[in-house]
Amino acid sequence: MIKRLTCIAAALVALVVLPAFAQGKEKVVLLLNWYVYSEHAPFFLGKERGYFDQEGIDLDVQEGRGSGVTVQAVAAGTATFGYADVATMIKAASKGAPVTAVGVALQTSPMSAMGFADRNIRKPEDIKGKTVAVTPGDSMSQIWPLFLKKTGLKESDFKTVSGDAQTKLNAVMNNQADLLLGYVMDQAIKLQDATHKDIYPIRFADYGVNMVSSGIIVQKDYLKAHPDVVKRFMRATTRSLEEAAKNPDAAVDAMLKANPKSGVKETALVGMKNTASLYKGPDNPNDRPLRVGAKNMDETLALLVEYGGLEKASAGKATDYYTNDFLP
Amino acid sequence: MKRAAWQRVLLSAWVRPVLLVALLLIAWDLAIRLFRIPPYLIPSPWSVVQQLVNEWPRLLKESIPTTYATLGGFALSIAFGIPMALMIAYSRTIESFVYPLLVFSQSVPKIAIAPLFVVWFGFGIIPKVIAAFMLGFFPIVVSTVMGFKSVDPDMLDLARSMKASRLATFLRISLPHALPSIFAGLKVSITLAVVGAVVGEFVGSNSGIGYLLQIANGNFDLPLMFAALTVLSAIGVVLFVAVDVIERLMIPWHASQRHDAVVPA
Repeated sequence: MIKRLTCIAAALVALVVLPAFAQGKEKVVLLLNWYVYSEHAPFFLGKERGYFDQEGIDLDVQEGRGSGVTVQAVAAGTATFGYADVATMIKAASKGAPVTAVGVALQTSPMSAMGFADRNIRKPEDIKGKTVAVTPGDSMSQIWPLFLKKTGLKESDFKTVSGDAQTKLNAVMNNQADLLLGYVMDQAIKLQDATHKDIYPIRFADYGVNMVSSGIIVQKDYLKAHPDVVKRFMRATTRSLEEAAKNPDAAVDAMLKANPKSGVKETALVGMKNTASLYKGPDNPNDRPLRVGAKNMDETLALLVEYGGLEKASAGKATDYYTNDFLP
Repeated sequence: MKRAAWQRVLLSAWVRPVLLVALLLIAWDLAIRLFRIPPYLIPSPWSVVQQLVNEWPRLLKESIPTTYATLGGFALSIAFGIPMALMIAYSRTIESFVYPLLVFSQSVPKIAIAPLFVVWFGFGIIPKVIAAFMLGFFPIVVSTVMGFKSVDPDMLDLARSMKASRLATFLRISLPHALPSIFAGLKVSITLAVVGAVVGEFVGSNSGIGYLLQIANGNFDLPLMFAALTVLSAIGVVLFVAVDVIERLMIPWHASQRHDAVVPA
């Protein structure tokens, strides 16, 4: 009798508490920098494995239309978190957008000049006399002059054509350009998927261009009001990135299950592995993911001032733009 | 009753739009101050004016290719649009074949296919001219067809009864009757052609206002972006006024051009 009563009581408690628990979950929107591709797979793995659930977070991942827009949306409070290019965020923040980075995912630059492998463009000197497709105003086109300087190339050594993101890909696919400026885990995979030809990227990072890339950004007011949610979110994100690096296969599967149109298994797997190889910066090989080194951020800011159109007067110091305090 | 001089100045056709613009600028500035809209979302009018002045040489330089592409697309729209409209207006067979398809093609979003223009025609001026043409073409066809179809049949009967040749009927009756409609189409067309040219530049270009817009966007330079948009609109206005002047010269007899028609007694 007592046993049965306890059972009923337990059931009742469960009935009352469980929905309450579900309601108590924080609804969080993560706005990505672009349409879903391999780089974003860790978030889907984390969702599938329940890392965010365990932190009491109900995560909604939404596709973006470029880092700039994502930063503006987070600054305006339209999205809780943003996954965006940290350099782009710094530029917006220096113009008054109240945002900060609470974790940097890609700490080695994924920027590269890439073309079909059979063209044999494998080192900077090979670019001479070729045609390069760029998108005016984007982060890569702004760092490109630094790459040229570090490798002793001149703007006049090659031809430039400019167009939007799609045009860059089209130009290389249709031989209107030999190379494009893109990310190793993004455009390289897209080119490969479309043409089934191998791509060879000349990485900026291999020629001394060190700059952080994608990270998690949040509005400063939100950070002040909900430090606990940010901490929990970052804990789940850290676990997701670690697990995705260890188990890229599962990460890609989780992404493709949630977004069947976001890629093709084999190449997305390559993209995920390439992404994971960028999780560590040059100055912090032993840190957990998302924890960025001070030197790396200083260097990024210095580059932005020198090449990225960031005004020196309003630039401030690197610590104005990021914090590691909310990471596990 | 005579109006005071200042009243006449205030109500003259040139001052009114300027007044409205000034009013809108003030409202814009007030809205930014009142709702504390941060500059990374909407720039203040003053910062836009500053960029307009500072970057003037560059804006001027970049507006030249955009104007060329616009005029090219507009010329192409006339060259194709008017003959096609004539065929549609004078032949039911051609109309039944072509017109539905034309309407169908107009509903295709140009921005979606613009990337392909670059693939097909390269990075030169041609893809921009074609984008401008794609947007500018349709209004010319529609209003030209309307113009020719709405000629008073009694007039045509009269011409026929007087044994006027087909050419004479066309030149003396149909064309003059259709011209006001044609010009209405041309005016819509030229403003749309500007948009088309910029769409073309956005997708793939090494110069032009569309290219400058992309750079400004990448740098969160909203004042420059708005300055570029202002220049773009100015191009549209200048070209519109040019078409308007030509219209006045060509059909001074039409009701829309007579001043007594504008101000009823």
